[in-house]
Amino acid sequence: MAGVLERGRTVAPSTYNRWLIPPCALATHLCIGQAYALSVFNLPLTRQLGITKSVSADWTLVELGWIFSIAIAMLGLSAALFGTWVQAEGPRKSGVVAAVCWGSGFLLGALGIYLHQLWLVYLGYGFIGGIGLGIGYITPVSTLIAWFPDRRGMATGLAIMGFGGGALIASPLSDALMRHFASLTSTGVVQTWLVLGVVYLVFMLGGAFGYRVPPANWQPAGWSPPPTQLRRLITDKHVRAQEAIQTPQFWLLWVVLCFNVTAGIGVLGQASAMIQEVFRGRIGPSAAAGFVGLLSLFNMGGRFFWASLSDRIGRKATYGVFFTLGPVLYALVPWTGRMGSVALFVAAFAVILTMYGGGFATIPAYLADVFGTKYVSAVHGRLLTAWSAAGVLGPVLVNYIRQLQIDHGVPKYQAYNVTMYIMAGLLVVAFFSNLLLRPVHDRYAEESDSSTAPIAV
Amino acid sequence: MTDTRTLHRDMSRNPLLVSAAWAAVGVPLLWGVIQTLYKAALLFR
Repeated sequence: MAGVLERGRTVAPSTYNRWLIPPCALATHLCIGQAYALSVFNLPLTRQLGITKSVSADWTLVELGWIFSIAIAMLGLSAALFGTWVQAEGPRKSGVVAAVCWGSGFLLGALGIYLHQLWLVYLGYGFIGGIGLGIGYITPVSTLIAWFPDRRGMATGLAIMGFGGGALIASPLSDALMRHFASLTSTGVVQTWLVLGVVYLVFMLGGAFGYRVPPANWQPAGWSPPPTQLRRLITDKHVRAQEAIQTPQFWLLWVVLCFNVTAGIGVLGQASAMIQEVFRGRIGPSAAAGFVGLLSLFNMGGRFFWASLSDRIGRKATYGVFFTLGPVLYALVPWTGRMGSVALFVAAFAVILTMYGGGFATIPAYLADVFGTKYVSAVHGRLLTAWSAAGVLGPVLVNYIRQLQIDHGVPKYQAYNVTMYIMAGLLVVAFFSNLLLRPVHDRYAEESDSSTAPIAV
Repeated sequence: MTDTRTLHRDMSRNPLLVSAAWAAVGVPLLWGVIQTLYKAALLFR
């Protein structure tokens, strides 16, 4: 059985239809993308004992917030720690491990909720599920890049779009399941987690067993790499992850990802409260929920749009657009609030969120351009620590500065203005970080030996 | 091994298989998008 998972058993014939690979990647990412919809369980979990209302022994929102934080921290850590292993073992084995971790994380979490032991939920969903998140996130990256050397951005954008789309499915699905299982003695969360755990396990295993890697030296029919002088930042050398993290290029891209995510994540976490406070009396909780849903759609769409566009205009130019347009839009947000224009406010954030998603989706192709394709999963895994850092930095910046403003007597509807200017400033720093990026020096690249390369395109 | 590879090649070119693979991920995603759009419509009412 274990042999079926070996990389060598997943090598496809040269005539294999590469369009079967993106659905496998989507199967993985649509499942782990559930993490963005975890908040749908927050309120039911605060009345797990009281059922209709919280009682003193029930969990608080602050305690529950740690489930997500642990999971996201584990995403970054496991992607960094297991990136090299994922690259070496291939997508099928890592896809199966991700599926088992993610599915069993739900099942253990359900047991924790049933026994009302929060540490079990932290261990299940947060720790074990978080490892599944990290491994699952990077699993399809190098495989897609190997199958689509002519459309690296589009291919990885498609998969990472799934991570954004996962929440769009999980949120209404969880809601429907909880309503179905709820009774006088149960909130329905335990049963919902059990169902989700099994469904995600089956779906992700289906994706994992569908993965194939292309044979050595495979290229799409009729395609050949463009000449080197036309693609200055695209290398045909390969830099190992250990060497990559010693290059300035890695840390410049780390800043690019971290600040782009910080700006977006800070807004996403506060979107509902923000629109209600800026347009008090005009936007209620239901409409605010609609705003959050709309942002999720643009976040998802931006992943595919910008990553695909980057195949045409280049990665550096794509991030150049993010960090030119982004600061302008962030700076305009307070003005749209003063004008009282909900439409302009929503439009500004919709575009901002496409660039937030686009930043995630375009980075694997950018890494493949700069460090080569052979070790891209391992390098990508290490770069995702920027996401973990941003996961802390973004919400802290937004929450802390908002509270500071309110403490100094600023009205609530204006409390986000300074935050928006700071986010714009972060994107300006990211602009220069992207601008400074140059090709990696040859001394970091491994000796070329294409005959032994597991992925040669 | 060769037989398995030949089988993969033949199967991978089967339009039904390709359509089924895309439908397996596309249908849930489309359902999620429709649900979200429905909720988002409240913003403009």
